[in-house]
Amino acid sequence: MQLTYVEAIRLALEEEMRRDPAVFLLGEDIGVYGGAFKATAGLIDEFGPVRVMDTPLAESALVGAAIGAAYTGMRPVAEFQFMDFIACAYNQIVNFAAKSHYRWQAPVPIVLRGPAGGGVHGGPFHSQNPEMHFVHTPGLKVVEPATAVDAKGLLKSAIRDNNPVIFLEHKFLYRRVKEEVPEGEHLAPLGKARVARPGRDLSVITYGAMVPLALEVADRLAGEGLELEVLDLRTLLPLDVEGMLASARRTSKVLILHEDTRTGGLAGEITALLQEHAYEDLDGPILRLTAADTPVPFSPPLEEAFLPSAARLAEMVKQLARY
Amino acid sequence: MADNDAPNTTPAKPAAEAAEKSVAEKANGGPASSESPAQPVPAASRPAGGARPQRGPRRERPDHRPRRRGPGGGATEPNPARPGARSTPRVTEWFQDLRQERLRFELEEIWDEGKLAYRWTGAITPPPPLVEPRGLSREQCIEIFRWMLLNRALEQQLENLYKQSRVVGGVYFGLGQEGCSVASAYALGPNDWMAPMIRNQGSLLVRGFPARDIMMQYMARADSPTGGKDGTSHFGDLESRHVVAPISMLGDLIPVMAGVCLGERLQGREIAAMTWIGDGGQSTGVFHEGLNLAAVQNLGLVLIVENNLWAYSTPLQKQTRIRDLAIRARAYGIPAMIVDGTDPFQVYQAAHQAIERAHAGGGPTLIEAKLMRMKGHAIHDPAAYVPAAMLEFWRLRDPIARLEIWLKRKSWLDEAAIEEMRRAVESEILAERDAAEASPMPPPERAFEGVYCDGCHDPRPRFLGRGRRRP
Ligand SMILES: Cc1ncc(C[n+]2csc(CCOP(=O)(O)OP(=O)(O)O)c2C)c(N)n1
Ligand SMILES: [Mg+2]
Repeated sequence: MQLTYVEAIRLALEEEMRRDPAVFLLGEDIGVYGGAFKATAGLIDEFGPVRVMDTPLAESALVGAAIGAAYTGMRPVAEFQFMDFIACAYNQIVNFAAKSHYRWQAPVPIVLRGPAGGGVHGGPFHSQNPEMHFVHTPGLKVVEPATAVDAKGLLKSAIRDNNPVIFLEHKFLYRRVKEEVPEGEHLAPLGKARVARPGRDLSVITYGAMVPLALEVADRLAGEGLELEVLDLRTLLPLDVEGMLASARRTSKVLILHEDTRTGGLAGEITALLQEHAYEDLDGPILRLTAADTPVPFSPPLEEAFLPSAARLAEMVKQLARY
Repeated sequence: MADNDAPNTTPAKPAAEAAEKSVAEKANGGPASSESPAQPVPAASRPAGGARPQRGPRRERPDHRPRRRGPGGGATEPNPARPGARSTPRVTEWFQDLRQERLRFELEEIWDEGKLAYRWTGAITPPPPLVEPRGLSREQCIEIFRWMLLNRALEQQLENLYKQSRVVGGVYFGLGQEGCSVASAYALGPNDWMAPMIRNQGSLLVRGFPARDIMMQYMARADSPTGGKDGTSHFGDLESRHVVAPISMLGDLIPVMAGVCLGERLQGREIAAMTWIGDGGQSTGVFHEGLNLAAVQNLGLVLIVENNLWAYSTPLQKQTRIRDLAIRARAYGIPAMIVDGTDPFQVYQAAHQAIERAHAGGGPTLIEAKLMRMKGHAIHDPAAYVPAAMLEFWRLRDPIARLEIWLKRKSWLDEAAIEEMRRAVESEILAERDAAEASPMPPPERAFEGVYCDGCHDPRPRFLGRGRRRP
C-alpha cells in the first residue's frame, strides 16, 4: 500500500487499537478533528470518544493521565500537537514516568508521540527537536523514524514496549515521504539502527529528516566515485552501539549529522562512544554537522542558514574523505 | 483570619459555637465572622421544581450517576462498549461543611527585636466533641483508633531510629494529622486506588503495608519495597493494594490518579482514586490541570486537600488569597466538602461520600481537611517560625486525644483497654523495627538494575473483556 509517513502513523495506530483493546489515544484535537496533522483522522468514528479522547489543553495532565491509565494495564498513546509542547510535561515524563520502573517496579507502557523538527518555517515553538532532553533521562526510550515503513513498524513496536517511549515524528517528512508500506504485522525493532544505504568509503550516522538529506548527497557523490554509507539510527535511546561500530569499522571514517542543535547534541555522545570502542579502526577525525546553537529562527533564509544543508554536508564529506 | 470563603450551609449553629464566636470576637477586637451573609434555607422550603434560591444550601442528589447519551443523543443505559459516550452530570450540590467549629485567628507578620516573625491571635478554646460517626460500627471506630495509634507509634519509632543514625536522610511526620490519613484511607474499598503524600504514612498502614516496610524505606534497606532505590513513603503496589508511589514533586499525582480512574473506566469499572495534597502543593499548576481533567472526564478522583496551614515555613496566606481551599471546587464544577481534619469521623464521612459518588460514576470530589502540622517540615526543622500560641490551640485538637475521649465517653473503651491497646501497638512496632533492622543494606550492583522493563513485567488490563464489574 502506498502511504505517506503520516498515513503510516495512522495505520499503525488503527492496527494496534484493533489488535489490542488496551491501546487507546488521548490528546488535543485528536477526535472529531483527527489531530492537527490528521494522524488520528477517523479513528474516533471507529473506536469512539473514550478510546480516542480529546483532552483539555494541558500537557502535564495529558501525560499524567497516560501514566495513571498505564498503571491499570492500559497502553495509552498520547499525542502532542507539536513536540515543542512536551516541555510543558517535562516533570511528568522525567520524574514520574521515567523513574517508575526503577523506583518501584511499576512499568509505564506509554507512547508520547507527535510532530518534531524544522524545515517548514514553523518558528521557534513549532520546529524544535527535543530529543536530547529525554535521551539524557534513563528509563525512557526515544525513537524517530525516517521512512514511512519505519514510522509504522517503530510505532507498533513502541506501543507494545513496556517502557515510556518518546516517539518523534518528523513533520517535514509527514507528507513528503510516500512509499510502499506493508500491511499488518510489520514491526521494526527498537534499539536497532538501519543501514539506509551501504557504502565503503565513509559513514554518515544520522536520523530523522537528515536521512533523506544524507541519501541525496550520497547519490550525488556516488557520481564522483565516493561511496557513502548512511546509517539511520531510528532509536536514539538506547543507541545501537553495535550497529554504529560495525559501520565505522566498515568505512573507518564517520561523520555525524543531526538537525538538533550542536552543544549537547547526540553527535557528542556518539563521538565519545566511537573513541572508546573504535579508536583503532578510524582513519580520520570524527566530524559533525548539526544545526547552529540558536533557537529555530522563523524567516526562511534564517532557518535555511540554521539547518544543516546538502551543500555543507557534501563539502564536509569530501574533506573527511581526503584523510 | 477567619475562614470565610465558603458559602454558609450550616443548618444551625450550635450554642457552643456561638459562645466561641463571642470569645473570638473579643480576642480579635471586633466581629470575627465575615462569613457569607447567606441564610440557610432548609431544603424542604425550596420551591419544588422551580427556581432555586440564589444562595441557599444545595442538597445532595441521591444518585450522582451521570446521564449517558447513546448514539441517538437521548439518555440511555450505559453502553459498555463505549463507556465514555456520556454527558457531564449536572452537579446539583457542590458544597458541604461538616465542621462543628470554625477557625478564627489572625496570623500577622511582626518585627520582633529586628527579626521578622509571625504572631498568632485567637482564642485558645477547647474543641467540640467529635461528630457521631456515620456508617461506622463500634468495632470500626475502635479499629480506626488503633490505626491512629499505630501511625503515631511508627513515627515515634522513626524518630528514635533517626536519633540512632539509622535513618538515611530525613524523617517526615504526620503528627496531628493521623486522623485524616487513617480515616480517609479507611473509607476506600479493596478495588479503589490511592496514592499517599509524604505525611500519609497512616494511609499506607491502613492499606495493608506492614510498618517495617516504611521503616526499611527510611533506613534504605535491601528488603524495603523499593529495594533501597527510593526512601520514605515513596513506594506502592500495583497488583494487590492498588497504591501508586508518589514522587517528590507535589501535585503530579493528581493527573496520574485521574488517569488511574480513566484506565479502570476503559475496563468498564468506576472506581475511586484517592490522593492528598497540601496547602502548598495546591498552588502548583498541575493541581489545576489534574483536577480539571478529572472534572471534565467525570473521573472518580477523591482529592483531599490537607490544609495544615503551613507549607514548610510558608503560611497559608502566602500561598493563596482564599481561606477555604474547598471553594476552588466551584471553579471546576465539582462538589466540595470541608471537614475538621482532626475529627476522624468527619474525614471518614466525607471520604465515604466522595467514594460512593465515584463508584456511581459521579466524578471527582474535593475535600478540604483543616488541621495543623504539629512538627517541623521534617525532622531537621524545629519550626521556630510557628507561633507557640498556634501550636497550643491545635494541641487541644490532637486527633488521638479527641478520639480517645470520645471512645471513653461512649464507654466503648475504658482506660485499661486503651492502655492494653497502646502496649500491643508498641510491641507490634518494636517487632516491626526488629524485622526492619534485620534487613541488610542493598548489594551495590542493584544500582544498575531495573531501569527498563525488559519483559520482567507483563502489564495488561485485568478487566478487559470480562464484562462490567462494580467495585
Ligand atoms: C513541586 C515542588 N516544589 C517544591 C517542593 C519542595 N517541598 C517539599 S514539601 C514542601 C512544602 C509542602 O507544603 P504542603 O503542600 O502544604 O504540604 P505539607 O508539608 O504541609 O504536608 C516543599 C516546598 C516539592 N516537593 N515539590
Ligand atoms: Mg501544608
